[in-house]
Amino acid sequence: MTDKESAKEWEPKIVAIVCNWCTYAGADLAGISRIQYPPNVRIIRVPCTGRINPFYIMRALHEGADGVLVSGCHPGECHYITGNLTARRKFAALKSFLGYIGLEGDRTLFTWVSASEGDRFAQVIRGVTDAVRALGPARKLVKRM
Amino acid sequence: MENVEKKLREEAKGLLAEKKVDVVVGYEKGTLPLTATPCFITTPEEADRLVWNPFCVLNLAKFVHDLLDQHHEAQKRVKPEARRKRVVGVVARGCTSRSLVIHLQEKQYGKDEIVILGVPCGGYLDGKKLAALAGGEEVREGALDEGKIVVKTMSGERQAALTGLLADNCLVCRFNRPVIADIQTGEVPPVAEAEREYDPVTAFENLPPEERWTYFEKEMAKCIRCYACRNVCPSCYCRICFAEQSQPRWVDIGADPSDTQLFQLMRIYHMVGRCVDCGSCTAVCPMGVDLRKFLKKLDKDAFTMFGHRAGVSLEEPAPLSAYRETDREDFIFEPGKKSEA
Repeated sequence: MTDKESAKEWEPKIVAIVCNWCTYAGADLAGISRIQYPPNVRIIRVPCTGRINPFYIMRALHEGADGVLVSGCHPGECHYITGNLTARRKFAALKSFLGYIGLEGDRTLFTWVSASEGDRFAQVIRGVTDAVRALGPARKLVKRM
Repeated sequence: MENVEKKLREEAKGLLAEKKVDVVVGYEKGTLPLTATPCFITTPEEADRLVWNPFCVLNLAKFVHDLLDQHHEAQKRVKPEARRKRVVGVVARGCTSRSLVIHLQEKQYGKDEIVILGVPCGGYLDGKKLAALAGGEEVREGALDEGKIVVKTMSGERQAALTGLLADNCLVCRFNRPVIADIQTGEVPPVAEAEREYDPVTAFENLPPEERWTYFEKEMAKCIRCYACRNVCPSCYCRICFAEQSQPRWVDIGADPSDTQLFQLMRIYHMVGRCVDCGSCTAVCPMGVDLRKFLKKLDKDAFTMFGHRAGVSLEEPAPLSAYRETDREDFIFEPGKKSEA
């Protein structure tokens, strides 16, 4: 806790849970195209956003992630046809509920990045990093002991 | 209410005598004054134990699920030709019937395995409000007399109108009649003041985030992780609950306050479009955690976002197992655009 707070060089730690078919390929494209983006994200690849248990997000926050980004295919472009559409509902309810108990809205972010949008991926990561940096280190829901 | 009780006993007696059901889950008189307790009636003679009054609190759908789940499990060890169906009769008020609908939707058992004895409901007595009326003293005797609750304690006698002692969820309940019933007993009372249903949620939403967090922290700090809320909740029926799962271990059992917060957060999140606001969890909570404040938000969201009310119709799927192309997208992060906090 003290390290995190005192260190001037605090850098946000962001967990990005991304789908294999769109955003992960988008991230790959960003890498191949040598587009620069902040190194604050730790990418976890899952088959589909529909596979993401909302517990993953809560658990990431609990383990001390300063922000969680979930990204998948644009609605209508899911590799599994409807995975991201059911996921969208889950995340809408989750984000609303986390906001309700007083968590900052920008701690949990959801977006869509397709495989051809390497540039957008970099932009999203920049945007997310800035948003989380503005919030400072996570304090709520974080395990201390 | 007297008539409902009489009719209920008759119906239960009939069902048991005709062997249409193996057991009736209902309420009987509790051992303490002004209480009723769930009971299992298996013979027609016992049916006279059944009661129906404002002291019947817990959601009986939980017991229906438990009985049938155990039966299904036991039948696996029986030769196929010797297997038998077990039918459970259940005394159901509005919220209980909604829980039964959720079970049916989630394919926990078949409609042919339950017989619903629908009863009209005017709300139940809140244990905590009653304790406040008794001034925290032990209730020695109590009676319900023409809409008035009279309690006798060591220091004297007090009374209050029943309507003032009803549970919060009953005051804004719009389901005084069961949504499904095989047998309906009694007249259906008028619907309570349902328009104000989400008022406390809206009021809470309008508080600054820090205040909301402080409240959440404060409430969760009371929780002793006895899991009574989970055990009593009809929508919590997993054989292995995430709270006790070890692979993966979702939530630790340490003394850190965040462990408890995480447990509650995860359990509450399960209730998106599945909480019928029966109030059983708050009724059994020994620490008086204000769970309803948080559960009601999910109820509100399920309604405002997806137009869904938990357990109201058998046809409508659970909100999180369905989708619409036009579902809201305003929470999606767009780089360069300021997202709503």
